[in-house]
This record gives sequence, C-alpha cells and structure tokens, in this order.
Amino acid sequence: MAATRRLQKELNDIRQSGLKSFRDIQVDESNILTWQGLIVPDNPPYNKGAFRIEINFPAEYPFKPPKISFKTKIYHPNIDEKGQVCLPIISAENWKPATKTDQVIQALVALVNDPEPEHPLRAELAEEFLKDRKKFMKNAEEFTKKHSEKRPSD
Amino acid sequence: MTESISTLTAPISLSTYHQLSLTVESASIRNSGLFKPNPYLQVTIDDKISRKTEVIKSTLHPKWKEEFTILVTPLSQLLFRLADHHSFRKDNIIGEQRVNLLKILQYFNGKCENVELTLDMMKTATQENTSSSAESKTAEVVLLLDGLRIDPATLHQTHEALGETITSRNPLNDGVRARVRRNNPETLRSMLRTPNLRPPPGPPPLSNGGVHIPSSNVATEVTAPGPSHQDTPGPEPTQPPPTASTSTPEEPLPPGWEMRYDVYGRRYYVDHNTRSTSWERPQPLPPGWEVRRDARGRVYYVDHNTRTTTWQRPDTERLARFQHWRGERRHVVAQGNQRFLYPQTQPPPHQADVDGDATPVASGVGAAGPSVGNGTGAGAGAGAVAGAGAGPGAVAGGGSVAAADDGFGALPAGWERRVQPDGRVYYVNHKNRTTQWEDPRTQGQEVSAPEEALPPGWEIRFTEEGTRYFVDHNTRTTTFQDPRPGAPKGPQGAYGVPRAYERSFRWKLSQFRYLCQSNALPSHIKITLSRQTLFEDSYHQIMRLPAYELRRRLYIIFRGEEGLDYGGVSREWFFLLSHEVLNPMYCLFEYANKNNYSLQINPASYVNPDHLLYFKFIGRFIAMALYHGRFIYSGFTMPFYKRMLNKKLTMKDIESIDPEFYNSLVWIKDNNIDECGLEMWFSVDFEVLGQVIHHELKPAGDKERVTEANKEQYLQLVTQWRMTRGIEEQTSAFLEGFNEVVPLEWLKYFDERELELMLCGMQEVDVEDWQRNTIYRHYTRSSKQVAWFWQFVRQMDNEKRARLLQFVTGTCRVPVGGFAELMGSNGPQRFCIEKVGKDTWLPRSHTCFNRLDLPPYKSYEQLCEKLNYAIEETEGFGQE
Repeated sequence: MAATRRLQKELNDIRQSGLKSFRDIQVDESNILTWQGLIVPDNPPYNKGAFRIEINFPAEYPFKPPKISFKTKIYHPNIDEKGQVCLPIISAENWKPATKTDQVIQALVALVNDPEPEHPLRAELAEEFLKDRKKFMKNAEEFTKKHSEKRPSD
Repeated sequence: MTESISTLTAPISLSTYHQLSLTVESASIRNSGLFKPNPYLQVTIDDKISRKTEVIKSTLHPKWKEEFTILVTPLSQLLFRLADHHSFRKDNIIGEQRVNLLKILQYFNGKCENVELTLDMMKTATQENTSSSAESKTAEVVLLLDGLRIDPATLHQTHEALGETITSRNPLNDGVRARVRRNNPETLRSMLRTPNLRPPPGPPPLSNGGVHIPSSNVATEVTAPGPSHQDTPGPEPTQPPPTASTSTPEEPLPPGWEMRYDVYGRRYYVDHNTRSTSWERPQPLPPGWEVRRDARGRVYYVDHNTRTTTWQRPDTERLARFQHWRGERRHVVAQGNQRFLYPQTQPPPHQADVDGDATPVASGVGAAGPSVGNGTGAGAGAGAVAGAGAGPGAVAGGGSVAAADDGFGALPAGWERRVQPDGRVYYVNHKNRTTQWEDPRTQGQEVSAPEEALPPGWEIRFTEEGTRYFVDHNTRTTTFQDPRPGAPKGPQGAYGVPRAYERSFRWKLSQFRYLCQSNALPSHIKITLSRQTLFEDSYHQIMRLPAYELRRRLYIIFRGEEGLDYGGVSREWFFLLSHEVLNPMYCLFEYANKNNYSLQINPASYVNPDHLLYFKFIGRFIAMALYHGRFIYSGFTMPFYKRMLNKKLTMKDIESIDPEFYNSLVWIKDNNIDECGLEMWFSVDFEVLGQVIHHELKPAGDKERVTEANKEQYLQLVTQWRMTRGIEEQTSAFLEGFNEVVPLEWLKYFDERELELMLCGMQEVDVEDWQRNTIYRHYTRSSKQVAWFWQFVRQMDNEKRARLLQFVTGTCRVPVGGFAELMGSNGPQRFCIEKVGKDTWLPRSHTCFNRLDLPPYKSYEQLCEKLNYAIEETEGFGQE
C-alpha cells in the first residue's frame, strides 16, 4: 500500500518524539488509515481534560489531506457538535503532500488552546467568547469537566 | 469522568443543538370579517429566538413556501403564531399553536425528515360578553420539517430521564397532525410523467413472482406497494421515515447482516448478501427499499417508492444525486430544442451508393489545414505524401497505386486499399463496412510540406502539454513562432493571427459530414420504444442490429404516440436517452466532481454485472448521435474526449476532474522533494466502493523510491494512472461500440473541444447575462481591457463564444439558470476576469474557478490577437 509506508513512518516518528499534547495514539494493525489519540491541551479552560480525536487518511494520501474529527464533545467555537473541525492546514486549498501529520496535530492543538472566533463553526460560542469571556470560560470549563476524558497521569 | 472508548459512540445528548429545516408552506384562515387579513407566521423557539415569514397581503389562503433553518434541541418547544399585519396598529393574532418537538421525534422514532405538520391554530376567545374563555380553531397551517435525526436510543433514555411514561405511540397533542410526506410535490410530478423507470440490467421487474428472495421477512412483504417498517428499519437522512413506526430503541440490522466481534473485541459487520465485511454499521436501507437477489444469485435493490431497481446499495449521496438527476428531467426536452450547430445538420440522405458517388469534397481541402489536430506525430512521415494538401487531386496523388509502400507501414487491421476503375485509390474499412478516400493512417493530420531544417542554433521542444515551441540558443529565448521561412506565420488571417492557427471548424465538420453521407445505407431502421422503458428498449434494439445498420436513417416510434419521425422524434430520443444513461442508479457514469457536471465513467460501474455491454451500447449510441447529427443532453469531460481522440493526457487534464489531486502533483513538480520525506514510491492506491486498490506504476515500483531525479517519470506515470484508473475496460467497451458505427479515424479532424460542440451542440449565449454575472479582480468594470473584452465577445459568432467559454469554464454549456448559476470546484463561482502578468503574455484560464487571467494588453487589437490565439491553441500553454 502506497499510503501505508508513509503513515507507518509518520506514526513511528510521532511515537518516538513523544508529543506531550497528543497521547495514547491507537492505530489498528489492519487499518493504518485510521488513527485515534488524545489531545491534551495546556490552556484553560481545556486543560482540565483530554479530548479524543480520530484522524482518517484517504487511500490517496498524501495526494489528499486527512480528515480530523473530535470524538469527545468539546465546547469550542471552532469545533461543532458533530466533532467537525475546520483546520486550514488540511483544507483543499492549502494542502501540500509534504505536510506531516505531526504538523497537523500541532496546528490542531494550537487551535484548541487558542480559539479563533473570527472563523467560527459555532457562531453562538464565538460570540460568547468575544463578548463575555468570563461566561465562556465558565461554561467551557464545566463542559470540559463533564464530558472530557481523563488526562494521562504522567 | 473516566469515560472509556465507549464514549466515542455515545449518543448526542438532548441538550445539544441540531439544525432543523422548517418550511412554512401555507395556511388557510377562517373568514371572520369584512377584510381579508395580511397574514404572516411567526415561530418562536423555546421562547427565545423567533423567525417570521413575509407578510402576504389580503388573503385567507396565504402561501409562503419559506424555508428557515432553526437550531433546536430534541426538547425544544416551538410556538407558532399566525398574525394579521397592520401597518398602523398592533398586529392582530389570528391563532397560535404549540409544538413539542420531542413528541414528534418520538412519534417518528427520532427521524424528523420530510414530516408534514398540520397545525390547528387556536384562539382563546375571551368573549367580551361572557366570562368563559373558549378555544376555537381559527386557521390551519401546513409546515414541513426536515433534516433532523436523533438517535432513537437517546430519545429512549429521555423518557427515563424525564420520568415520563409516554410511549412513542403517544398521539401528538391535540391540534397537531403529522405525517411523512413520501415525495415532495416536484418529484411526485416528475414521477407521474415518467413512472416505472428501471435500471438497464433490469433485474427482474417488481411484478415478477419468480424472484428468489433470500430473507423470509422480506418475502412477506413483496406484494405490498411499499414494504412496512419492519424490514426497512433504518434512518436515512434524505428519505422519509415510515409513518407508523413502532418504538424500536435499537435499529435492527438490515436483513442478511450480522454483527460480530474480532479477536481484539472490535465490533464489525458481516453482510451475508454480498459476502463482505465492514467496520461501519451498515446504513439500513431507506424506507421503501428492499434487497433482493436475481435468478443468478446477484444482489440488487428495489425501491418501491419509485418502482425502480439498482445494483448499488442506496446511500445518502447516491439518493441525493438521483434526486438531482430526476430534477433535470423536465429541462431535458426544452434544452434539446435550443441546441444548434451550423451548417444546419440534416439527416443523412436516405441512401447513397457507397463506393461510387464521389463528390470530391473529401479531398483537396487540406489547404485549410486542421492546425489544432494532433499534428505532432505527423511530421516524421509526412514527407511521403508531400503535396497532399495542395489541391483537389491530392488524395489521388498521394495514395497513387504505385505508392503501395508509402512509408506509413501497414494499414490498420480490417482495412484494405482499393483502386477505382478510373485509377483513384480509396480505402475500405471492413470492420465497419465503410469506405473513404482518405488514408486512415494520415487522416485528419496536418499534412505539411517536408520539414525544413531549423536555422542554426534553434531547437524544437515540446511543453509538458505537448505544445510545440522553439528554442533559440543564440539568444537564449523561446517562442511558439516557427522560425522557418515556410512556416505558417505568413499570411495573417481574419483575426490577425497566422492563418494556420485559425481553426476551420466548418471545414472539419463538412469533412466529417461527407464521410457520414458517403457511407450511409439505403432505407431506414425502425426503433420502437416505450417511454417507460426507454433505456432497455433502446438497448435491446440497438444491440440486436449489426452496427452498420445503425447508419441507416432512423425512424423512432414511441409506443402509443402518433406521429411520424421526420427528425423531431429522433432528436427527442437522442436527448432523452442520453439523459437516461446518466441515471445515477445505473452507476455507469458519474459527474466529474461535485461541481463539474460533465460526465466520466464511474470506476464503480462493475457493481452492474453487465456494465461492459452497456458501455458498448452507449458507445454505439453516442456514435449514432454524431453520425446522424443529433445532440446529447450532457457532455463528457474533456479528458474523456481526448481519450476518444487517442490524445495523450497531461497533468493539466487532471485539474478539471480532481483539482485536489492536481494541486498535489503541481506541488511535487515545483518543489525539491528530496528533503521533505514524502515517502513516495512508484506505486499508488485508490478506493472504489470501500476497497483499496493498489497499483504499481512500473515493475517493482513498490521498491523504487520517488526522488527529485526521477520525479518527472513518476509524475508522468501517476498522471496516466489517475486518468485511467478503474475505467480502462469500460472505456475500451465504449470505444469498441463507438467504432462500429463511426470509425474513430473519422474524428481525427477534431480536437476535444470541437467534439464536445458536435455532440452537445451550441446554445445561444446571452452576452448580457454573461456580462452581468461576471466579476473582476484587479480590474474594474470600467477598465479598458474589460471594455475591450466585452467588445471582443460581442463581435464574435456563437461558435467562438462557445469556444471562449470552453476555454475559461471547461465546457461550452451554460447552466440552465444562466451565468448566475455557474459552478466552480468550490461551489458557485461566477465568471471572473483577473489582471495577471504582462502584455506579452497569453491569456490563461483556470477552469475550476471559471477564471480568465487576462494580461493588461495595450490595445484592442492586441487583446483580440492574444485571446484568439489562446482560444484556438487552447492546450495549456506557457508564457511567451
């Protein structure tokens, strides 16, 4: 498989580099096109939990970009209720075959840590984020406590 | 807090928001006064957000048809309030009604799709004279809810959570009636017109009792016009849910499916029908659908809603495409009457003596020179027929009897060279039973004088797209202009460009028409069809006949319809059938991508077990359209036409069908790839119907790494693969069928754009509409280049306009709704003119974005020259 070799290498590199913000990477032996892992953000209000994401690589990877979705619910202006996220680095216009998954993950972590209310997927949260930061932080923190996964202990 | 993996599939909770499409359709208000009200409807969601329809003046039966997308939770309360608008006093409430969304969701098992609600609008009339307040019905409102689907399990939890005891059989509250609309009125109408459409392979029709039905609970259903809910359990976003659904907290798997666990404890699904497995839970069939097996044990799907069958399991996307396709039907015939092509196409003469009857049209026209053709290959051998292009005697001279060994090698298989009693040579194509004057080996090629040597220091090169250009090593410059004195830069044509660059489409067309006419057969063939089974009837009759018979005059009869076919009926038949073959349910063709409505072969067509026969049939049919000078509804992609012409496909060709893939290729081409760990090898993958298909681009390609040094070769191979993957067999079958009716050699006069024009015809291009819907970047409406551009467009004829459109948008066709509906690869995309480059550059185009890069030319004349050059020489050209 063409995509497999590249993904195998990327996976090894990521595992070796030991990203602090992306943990517990799970990949089926039989299907390396689907990855799961835990996003562990540093910034409040998301630093109270961890968020599971799934990365789906197309068979034509790296000619076509991967798709990312959140499996854990998150209160975030750029991530919608279905877990969809709009990440410029993997959009059709910006995608380059040389883009590596760890760059994609880092861009994602950065977005989770610092929401971009200018390009919201959930307008109502973006508005709250801009107009009433305190309330947003409170809601997001409660939501995180309620829905997110446990952060890895180490 | 310690949620395990199982949370990944946890149902969406009841407090999350979902989109719901609410269409306010109409109301009927009880008459209660002298004046008719000015009604509008207001909906308030959970006492927070409210939306209003337009006010409709003075009526008791307002019709709004307004669609709102509202955000709701399953627990939302919707308050509808019908009011009478007054411009100078407070609006008067006619009546109101409250809707509890949860009840509707429970009633429909979580699926709020295509649900028609009829609300009794009540008014609490606190009568002035009595103290009792009586509620009375004052109006009825009809709404349509759509697009909301909640996991029934969630709903189930709800009543537990809320401590409610309601069952999903619970009636809706008083005054609210709900039902699922099977079809929206539009599709219903089109269904009435064309009932009973069936897919080509015609799995046994519905009435056939002899079908083997695998699952017993299906068997109990077959006689029902639409199966009841038990065997069509699933939620399916675009389809209406069953009306009387019982409470089924867990949607059962479709018949023949089974859930299993692998050694890691992971859940997977086995489809015993097709003997395949999948990680994903199958989307159950939409209501009204059923799985069956034909006599040969092949699985197919029956849609009782439309009484159709298909080989491919219906999913949301496929159904959406089917809806789109069906929506087009009503435009098909109207469109057909708007297409034209000069010279006016006439049915070929009833009969013509094949061998005799030699009007010398075929020869001697070489001087006009099909410059755009595939000229490159011709050069080498062209010397042998020196002078062939000169005049009427050319063909006879070039192929003189003595020149049996003329340097072109053997004739293609099935061809024979013969000589008339008067010594004139002609060629017989035994395979197709056609004859022609022209040598098939040089047909349509630019026959030029022997190549003169280049001046010292010059070199001929070809761009990656195959366009010839010249390098002057003396001055280190390049040019498209041939530096040799005899080269066709000489006489300037009417457009101020070398005459050789002027295409002469008319000339080519007359060549082609001549070939058709001289190979016509006497008398006619009758094709009798029923509109209901257009595809199958056409298939059987066309495939039953020897292909050459299809060159006889056509006489089409629609069963049960009077009328003699003097051309009109067959014109309609070509148009209808060409639309029919695109029926997405047949899986034969697909749109090139979301917004490119040109067609390409569907790599998944093999789900249709007889697909190759159908492609052969379609090949015959398309050839018949060309032969008889008829148009088809929708064209193919440019790369497909190029394939028909046996032209080499280039990287640029990928852009129009898969821009994402193309961008990646360009990136690889433009960047040094050695340092960026692409981990690419000479092998590739793609996915068809969930299966990944691996391909080595060359022997042992899996072991050869792509590097900066060999990437040119890699890009070439990948391009070749991308354009042919999964469709080679189908293409061959298509071409085989085509070639039986119209020898592919006959097309050699044309380029791919001309082929599209011939096949689809031209449409009157509305320049006003075009200009109105054009946007500019770095130019403004009043820039002089823009003014010149429109001046240029206005003075062109229709053919030229069509060609300009092809150049910029990739097709000569304008959407049904005019230029405002032009689509690009990312959705609607207006025609755009952008200022790019210097005035020495040629204009360029980006067909995915409908964008013309127009350099800031210094004069009108210069703009005309460059644009003409670009349109004529279209192949993706570089800059001068």
